[in-house]
Amino acid sequence: MASKFGLAGGIPERRVRPIWDAIDSRQYKNALKHSASLLSKFPNSPYALALKALILERMGKSEEALSICLNAKELLCMSDSFLMDDLSLSTLQIVFQRLDRLDLATGCYEFACGKFPNNLELIMGLFNCYVREYSYVKQQQTAIKMYKLAGEERFLLWAVCSIQSQVFCGHGGEKLLALAEGLLKKHIVSHSLHEPEAVTVYISVLEQQGKYGDALEVLSGKLGSLLSIEVDRLHLQGRLLARAGDNAAAACTFQKILESCPDDWQCFLHYLGCLLEDDKSWCNGSIGEPVHPPKSVENLSHVPDDMFDSRVSDASIFVQKLQTESRTEPVRGPYLAILELERRKYLHGKGEKEKLLNAFEQYFCRFGHLACFCSDVEAFLEVLTPDEKMDLLEMLMKSSASLSMGPTRSLGQSLTLQKMQEIIGNYYKLPASELEGFAVKMIDMYCRILPLSRDLDLQEGMHGEELLCMVSNLLVQLFWRSRRLGYLLEAVMVLEFGLTIRRYVWQYKILLLHLYSHLGALPVAYEWYGTLDVKNILLETVLHHILPQMLSSPLWVDLNNILKDYLKFMDDHFRESADLTFLAFHHRNYSKVIEFVQFKDQLQHSNQYLVARLESYILRLKEKAGSIEEEECVLESMNCGTQVLELVSETSCNSLTFNEDLQTRPWWTPTSLKNYLLETCEELPCCSRESLLKCRREWEVNMQKIIQKRSFLPRMIYLSIRCASNSVKENIESNGSIDSSVCLELKSLLAHYADILGFSLNDAVEVLVEVSDGRKSLEALGSNMVDWLNLAVFYNAWSLNSHEDGHSGGDGSRPAWHIVTAVLEKCVLHKVRVLASLVCFPGGDLPMLVQMIAESLAWHHLVLQSYVQSWLPCGKKKKKAGPADQSSPLLSHMVLESISSLRATLQVVAKWLREQIDRTEGETLDLCLSSVETEYEEGPGQVFRILKDFISSASEAELGDRIFQALKSWSPEEVARKIVNGQHKILSEFLQICNSKMKKLEALRQQI
Amino acid sequence: MTTIRRFCCNDLLRFASVNLDHLTETFNMSFYMTYLARWPDYFHVAEGPGNRIMGYIMGKVEGQGESWHGHVTAVTVAPEYRRQQVAKKLMHLLEDISDNIDKAYFVDLFVRASNIPAIKMYEKLGYVVYRRVLRYYSGEEDGLDMRKALSRDVEKKSVIPLKRPVTPDELENEKSFIANGHLADVREQSLRLWA
Repeated sequence: MASKFGLAGGIPERRVRPIWDAIDSRQYKNALKHSASLLSKFPNSPYALALKALILERMGKSEEALSICLNAKELLCMSDSFLMDDLSLSTLQIVFQRLDRLDLATGCYEFACGKFPNNLELIMGLFNCYVREYSYVKQQQTAIKMYKLAGEERFLLWAVCSIQSQVFCGHGGEKLLALAEGLLKKHIVSHSLHEPEAVTVYISVLEQQGKYGDALEVLSGKLGSLLSIEVDRLHLQGRLLARAGDNAAAACTFQKILESCPDDWQCFLHYLGCLLEDDKSWCNGSIGEPVHPPKSVENLSHVPDDMFDSRVSDASIFVQKLQTESRTEPVRGPYLAILELERRKYLHGKGEKEKLLNAFEQYFCRFGHLACFCSDVEAFLEVLTPDEKMDLLEMLMKSSASLSMGPTRSLGQSLTLQKMQEIIGNYYKLPASELEGFAVKMIDMYCRILPLSRDLDLQEGMHGEELLCMVSNLLVQLFWRSRRLGYLLEAVMVLEFGLTIRRYVWQYKILLLHLYSHLGALPVAYEWYGTLDVKNILLETVLHHILPQMLSSPLWVDLNNILKDYLKFMDDHFRESADLTFLAFHHRNYSKVIEFVQFKDQLQHSNQYLVARLESYILRLKEKAGSIEEEECVLESMNCGTQVLELVSETSCNSLTFNEDLQTRPWWTPTSLKNYLLETCEELPCCSRESLLKCRREWEVNMQKIIQKRSFLPRMIYLSIRCASNSVKENIESNGSIDSSVCLELKSLLAHYADILGFSLNDAVEVLVEVSDGRKSLEALGSNMVDWLNLAVFYNAWSLNSHEDGHSGGDGSRPAWHIVTAVLEKCVLHKVRVLASLVCFPGGDLPMLVQMIAESLAWHHLVLQSYVQSWLPCGKKKKKAGPADQSSPLLSHMVLESISSLRATLQVVAKWLREQIDRTEGETLDLCLSSVETEYEEGPGQVFRILKDFISSASEAELGDRIFQALKSWSPEEVARKIVNGQHKILSEFLQICNSKMKKLEALRQQI
Repeated sequence: MTTIRRFCCNDLLRFASVNLDHLTETFNMSFYMTYLARWPDYFHVAEGPGNRIMGYIMGKVEGQGESWHGHVTAVTVAPEYRRQQVAKKLMHLLEDISDNIDKAYFVDLFVRASNIPAIKMYEKLGYVVYRRVLRYYSGEEDGLDMRKALSRDVEKKSVIPLKRPVTPDELENEKSFIANGHLADVREQSLRLWA
């Protein structure tokens, strides 16, 4: 390499180093100075030019950088071998990559490799280019070329990995794998393999072809001995045996692993699965693990009864042995194994309920004090009927009472018992008074054990911290049943209290942010979300706690920031991912190559990513909807909406991934599309795993629909604007339709849109007509009125320009104007009425009202603008020359009517908003506090009272300085004020949107 | 109940409840993936029943001559699974690999000087404070460089404590690819590595 001879790209290294140092320390101006002097000496050096381009790109001067790069590329292609080195090329590559022109970089390397077909370094650079472009076939070809040149094992493996990547992406199957196998075999004969990872890949190639026997042979031979971690080797062996159907040998292998790792739970499940021949987890053919694997084996064993008995008894003996041997270790596996054995027997119809419950009890006696007890046994509860679960609970309570143990252990056990009640769903069945009793008991317990944490560091988790989550869950449940707001506020108070004592408990923060969102104080929710420090990959898994609320809120600035941060993270990863894949190639960790490629795919198909991209387009449209000129610019930047349609169809909705971690969501909102607190149904919320899974599936299906629906919006807005203006022009130029394709396309989108709503377009319009003239109530529109409003708006725009509108009268009147105006008015006024009845808490209805105004009404406003604009001759006032007013006085009347109706509707909303905002802070605070500060013996306020009493009687000596001071600083008034301020903020933002729309409508009216 | 296995990319989508803990840093993607790409044997996850992530460890092996050593970059356990020796098991695994597979001389780690519970735990696991690194954490808090000698270091020379504290600049190891927990631009670095 050039640098070995003290030269870099034909330039002495000492001359280049200051430039690199300056770039590294981000002193770009300085770097540019050095670069200028270098270029004066070497004006035609591609490397010197590439360096300059690199600096310019860092300074944000992309265009300049690109033109210099192209210049360098040209020089490079003309140059002799001396200047065609990898360093110049790779520097150019970096700049091209940062300019999103991977193709140009690849072109450089392809040219160089064509000129010097035997230069390994250059070919490696080219391989790297193909990795960046995910061109697996070209990767494979290039790797083979290197392998032929150098005969090195790693190049062969690069080729094999490239083949596997093709197979995983669904291009070519067995033939390619057979090719990979053949290549490897041939190499092994002459050179053998030397890297453990190479052996792993070889085995995986055999495994993917179903050649388990061959794979096992490799594993047990000389090559297998390269896998130096014995346990890993055994795991692989067990898996291959199981997939080959040799369950007995597989069970033996897993048994061997368990002898050295008795706590390996997954291994125990495999062992048992092979023994009872009911483990289907090997059959799905995938090598990688699913992101959300099932929690337990649910398949029934098909072995005959007597065999089943003897195998279970073998397993019991083995488990007993493991227990004895691991007595001194803190292992839970061999004890939970007993429970698993009883569960399997039970599923097989051979178990006894007694024994299963006893196994539970024994596990409880040993590990009931651990915080993880409930998550350990959760999956086992599913085999029990509700009554059996209650029996179990009773049993555990009894045995807890009879056990004698130290204070922390006993505390742990009673916490577990309370958590068990929550998991079992016992609380849902109790009468409200009992529930309240539990909540009171729990908060009392929390207060009593607080002194135990007096000497703990602020960073450490405190004893009984989970109690506050449980109390708040109970209080929310009480609210859900009674609709008494006090309970909800009490839940907020409890969690805020907990955070005053220790500000790091993320579980409290998540519950709080959902409570605040529900209470209409989204800014406060957003603030708490901020303290969770959600960044990097957590954005993908945790953002769902706040993003959906923000999407339908008027907090556009914050929403914009959220979307920008998240998209930046994802896009950065997509940009970097290939480099990291190459790093895995380079370091010969071949199994990671495939993993990285699959992971990038997983993220690229993320539903949330798609939503975020989609919604950032829609947000821009919402922001500019007041001015048709600005909106048209926005639309132009997204290719008149087609970009958005393509975005969604490219990421085929069927292959969407759902990476959100939903386990951290509160019980009452298990997915972002479900909020039990908004429903008045009597049905129990889904607390069992089965119904949670159902909920998850529903969410996934609905998200796909929502994405499709939303993706139509930009294009429909564009087409509607065109239709509206065309309709006027059509009137002017009576020679017929100007551009029927616009109309046709809009109609087809409308039909799709209606289809997603579950109707044919005709039927959907019929519904709208009937709702608009009062024949049907608003309920006919179902829960998502915004979708219907959008349909009405776009349908009207279409019918302006269409001659096939079945609902327009023969007299030329266009009742579609009436429909959209009337439905908008009805829906908005209905929402305002509902909200007004909620006294001081807008709750869950506000977001929809915001969407009606900020979206549907805004789109209709655009249609009106477009219509009026094309009505007016350019640059002239209508008064001077107005063919339109002569041709269709009726239409002008309709437009005026629509405008004034929208304004009147907005006025009602604005008036309501102003009333809410103008309400004195004191008044709202009183309302808020009085609902928790009650003197009654039942109803909201019991828990709050205990907290207040506790604080007033707390002793510093008992609690220690830190906790004591924190207690004293807790202020319920402050919490209430926060809620009020949060609501004010959101209402004010909303009011601003309404005001601006009213102004714009007034201006439009004056134009006519 | 601990299944310890290699950490894989999908675990990044499942570790939210471990990483929401304020003491556990969520690094950028290239940081995790560089570790996976370069030292997959040093990145392990402990999984409990129901495939819940209990905790994980990430580390690397680096250094020249007698300072060839394993390094613990991060080890963390979810609150639910604390006090069950999960961290100990993960640390032992990393030590085993450093010792038996990579034949390293010692394993080291950095810890905040104020993090007394962690320091105590590492001491229990056989680590000693080798030296203090002044203002190691964001230029504010001192870090302790703790070490444990492995079988190759027969005379245990690697763990004889230094008498004076050092500054971060003096850390020879951190001149390597990843410095002080912050990964420089991979592309740039890779260019220079290959240059």
